Amino acid sequence: MLEGAKLIGAGAATIALAGAAVGIGNVFSSLIHSVARNPSLAKQLFGYAILGFALTEAIALFALMMAFLILFVF
Amino acid sequence: MLEGAKLIGAGAAVRTMTEGSSNTSNANGVPIPIPGSTGIYEDHPGLHPAVDERVVEYQAGIREQMSELMRMDGEHPEVVAAAERVHGESDNIAFLQGLLEDLRAHGRESEAFKYGVPNDAPLPGGGNPAGSSGGVDLANGNEAGSSAGVDLANVDDAAAAESPLDQFGIHPILDLNIGEYYVSFTNLSLFMLLTLGLVLLLVFVVTKKGGGKLVPNAFQSLVELIYDFVLNLVNEQIGGLSGNVKHKFFPCILVTFTFLLFCNLQGMIPFSFTVTSHFLITLALSFSIFIGITIVGFQRHGLHFFSFLLPAGVPLPLAPFLVLLELISYCFRALSLGIRLFANMMAGHSLVKILSGFAWTMLFLNNIFYFLGDLGPLFIVLALTGLELGVAILQAYVFTILICIYLNDAINLH
Repeated sequence: MLEGAKLIGAGAATIALAGAAVGIGNVFSSLIHSVARNPSLAKQLFGYAILGFALTEAIALFALMMAFLILFVF
Repeated sequence: MLEGAKLIGAGAAVRTMTEGSSNTSNANGVPIPIPGSTGIYEDHPGLHPAVDERVVEYQAGIREQMSELMRMDGEHPEVVAAAERVHGESDNIAFLQGLLEDLRAHGRESEAFKYGVPNDAPLPGGGNPAGSSGGVDLANGNEAGSSAGVDLANVDDAAAAESPLDQFGIHPILDLNIGEYYVSFTNLSLFMLLTLGLVLLLVFVVTKKGGGKLVPNAFQSLVELIYDFVLNLVNEQIGGLSGNVKHKFFPCILVTFTFLLFCNLQGMIPFSFTVTSHFLITLALSFSIFIGITIVGFQRHGLHFFSFLLPAGVPLPLAPFLVLLELISYCFRALSLGIRLFANMMAGHSLVKILSGFAWTMLFLNNIFYFLGDLGPLFIVLALTGLELGVAILQAYVFTILICIYLNDAINLH
């Protein structure tokens, strides 16, 4: 009973990935838009984009952490 | 053994009794078909919606009770083995209910517990401990339990060796206890010392005999690269200060970046240990840095630092909520800083481990198509390793740049 509930909970925790996917897509689409408008800033913008990507990805990893907590801690 | 036989006898008696009289309903009020009827539940007892679920529930209850009595974790193989001995995988509700009530009422003195955890089982570490007849002694009960479930524990260890999280295990190399504190030298400490040694060796080699050659060799280039990189970061991110004051923070930030970079990269060496995949380490780092930054803020602004919590130009009625929100988000910075690094490292390493385990298994399936098809997973593992190398560098960078941003916030009060 509890085992099954744990698995369901861990699976449900991965729904959060949808948000992270949208976020990462948004970061890079904005990068392409910006570089298309002003190619001379490409290098600087890429740095910002990578930072934004890392921050967004970290949110997805919080979801992963929740899944691990549900599976192994309780 | 005698008790066990008695117990089984009692269970059998209960079973026959309930089967004989179960023509009305069981304890749950669910009607059970009369013997002799051609109900579908009688022909296929597994189909009964209530019985199956309740059997599992009772068996779990027995395991829980056993784990409480044995003072061990419910997932512990010995507990599982003992619980299985007690209920014997029976699907008879009344029998299971009786066992559970016996366990609840009599605890360690109950027939069921004594059957599940035999006192006369041979102990691995020598003879029977004194006072085993009582069966109430804590240490004794634990020892008896451990010897009883020893076979299953071995089996479980072999299976557990495949878990992708095993690589993060901390094992003591030198056991040390000072007073009540456990201060063993573990593989974690070993790899942290290795990282430190590596960084110090690199810096030592470069600065030997005054260092700073006009034409740098490879090592000097590397150190200069890192130094320049962090110096640029500090100069760009922290504003509103003269160069001298700004550079008081520079050594701390440089050391943090170098330490994290080398920890992360060292973890990418196969069969090594990733220090930053433990939030023991990352949270200790992020919390101490967070406290340091807060102290810097109070030093520079005194009590005026609290204005940090209230953005300028906010209407007064909104202020209490905003202060609360800002306070929470400020405190959460410390947590998110550490967890981001930890989660990235742990997730990446587990992923590589899972996929490489998959490729490894596929290689030995004795089938030429699988053998050739294994190139696919292999390349995915290779690509992921490349990605992880990037993430290792990127996360050190992100950690450092966030420290700079937070420091800038504390100094300039947005």
